Amino acid sequence: MSNPSTQDRRRGFTRFMRTFLPWQMWRFAMINLKMMSLMRKSHHGGK
Amino acid sequence: MSAIRVVVLGAGVAGHTCASFLRRWLGREIEVAVVSPRPDYNWIPSNIWVGVGILTERQVVFPLAPIYQKAGITFHQAKATVLHPEGDQADPRPYLELVSTVAGREGQSERLHYDWLVNATGPKLNFAATPGLGPHGGHSISVCAAPHATEAAARLDEAVERMRRGERQRFLVGTGHGTCTCQGAAFEYVVNLEFELRQRKLRHLADITYLSNEYEVGDFGMGGINLRNGGYITPGKIFTESLFAERGVDWITRAHTTAVEPGVAHYETLDGGTGEARFDLAMLLPPFAGVGLTAVDRAGADITPKLFAPSGFMRVDADYTAKPYEQWRAGDWPRTYQSPHYRNIFAAGIAFAPPHPISVPRQSPKGTNITPAPPRTGMPSAMIGKAVAASIRDMIRGAPEPSHRASMAEMGAACVASAGNNPFTGTAASITVFPIVPDFERYPEYGRDLDYTFGEIGLAGHWIKILLHHMFIYKAKLRPFWSLIPE
Repeated sequence: MSNPSTQDRRRGFTRFMRTFLPWQMWRFAMINLKMMSLMRKSHHGGK
Repeated sequence: MSAIRVVVLGAGVAGHTCASFLRRWLGREIEVAVVSPRPDYNWIPSNIWVGVGILTERQVVFPLAPIYQKAGITFHQAKATVLHPEGDQADPRPYLELVSTVAGREGQSERLHYDWLVNATGPKLNFAATPGLGPHGGHSISVCAAPHATEAAARLDEAVERMRRGERQRFLVGTGHGTCTCQGAAFEYVVNLEFELRQRKLRHLADITYLSNEYEVGDFGMGGINLRNGGYITPGKIFTESLFAERGVDWITRAHTTAVEPGVAHYETLDGGTGEARFDLAMLLPPFAGVGLTAVDRAGADITPKLFAPSGFMRVDADYTAKPYEQWRAGDWPRTYQSPHYRNIFAAGIAFAPPHPISVPRQSPKGTNITPAPPRTGMPSAMIGKAVAASIRDMIRGAPEPSHRASMAEMGAACVASAGNNPFTGTAASITVFPIVPDFERYPEYGRDLDYTFGEIGLAGHWIKILLHHMFIYKAKLRPFWSLIPE
């Protein structure tokens, strides 16, 4: 089990990455691709 | 006069999508008419930002009449009150009784014949279900309609002024009844409120509580979600509780709000207990009900129970047989949204009666139902509206039965829940699920395909939320190439 200071560092890193521009630009592209893939799967044609 | 008339009741996401595609696909010899009691279109997902004072009402609302005039859609600003699916003894053509809501002509009635009818009225915001709930004579605010959200922003500004004078304020956000749906909107409002108070450097003076009818936070009326991200599978409960914990938001779950009085909400819990949540400002969502449309047959006899469920939502091709939770199946959910009694009537969006909830049904020892109703807003509403439009197009051209389906047990949904509006420090939770209604026969472990069910929070989600806001308003205004934008 990690000690409290290690947990704080991990939490800090996770929260930092949530608004870290280069990483978020990558995530923007990836999330859009995931959503488009979901839409393709959801749209049925005729029966 | 056109030989065939298709009437769409409602100009929300489902109705507007349906009418727009019908107009695009059908020739001008076929009339497409929309009936809506309100003159405007409201992009409801962005009401959250109006409710915290970031956007104005004008940025999420626009008038429908000029859009429909340009597109060639007939617009009736009126409320439908009675449905005559068999006409009457003098005229067998089906028709609707409408009551005008145009200023200066309120209350004037007219008769509108139809050949095909789509009921996409959306819900009645049933504030009356809980004494003291809501902005109309009650003691809480709402963000369900644009004017409500504007009032919410004004009330928030008043609370902020009190905080600037050093007063501590208690905010209560959540559901105003045990059967509410749309917990996602309450979630968005509470985290946006918290973010805005931080932006205004007043967070230290605010106590924020989330009050919900969910069994656990993160249920969202969908029986909970298991999100795959970074190699882990995270239950929606952990995902949502983590977000609340790091923002200092307290939560009360399994609660049916029994009454709202000035400064205090009373609630009953699933374990039979009761409680009070004190507040200076409360945003509590109402439960939904059907809009109260009635139906009569050719002889004038009331056939409302035949067409509508007791909730007021329209019965369609779902399996409405009452059965225990263990026997619920994905196949119970409707596919074509056609009325089982009249082949020329369909219901789309919130207006169709779901066969049962998605979440596990639960009752308190007093017999109070504390179960979230199933969500069917946004993406599923639009997809159902488009599928119904395609089926009507094909049936007008000779197809014997509806040609398109859009079961919520066979479609996914993408939801981007704002958690703070700022281009560099804002975040949003991006969540996708497939299918919306869990199918434990196809996906025995979790009920959903985890390759398509994921969630994460970050700035990218906020950018997507902004993109969707502009994209869907552009689409709703039927600007060039609108039909290329997916639902």
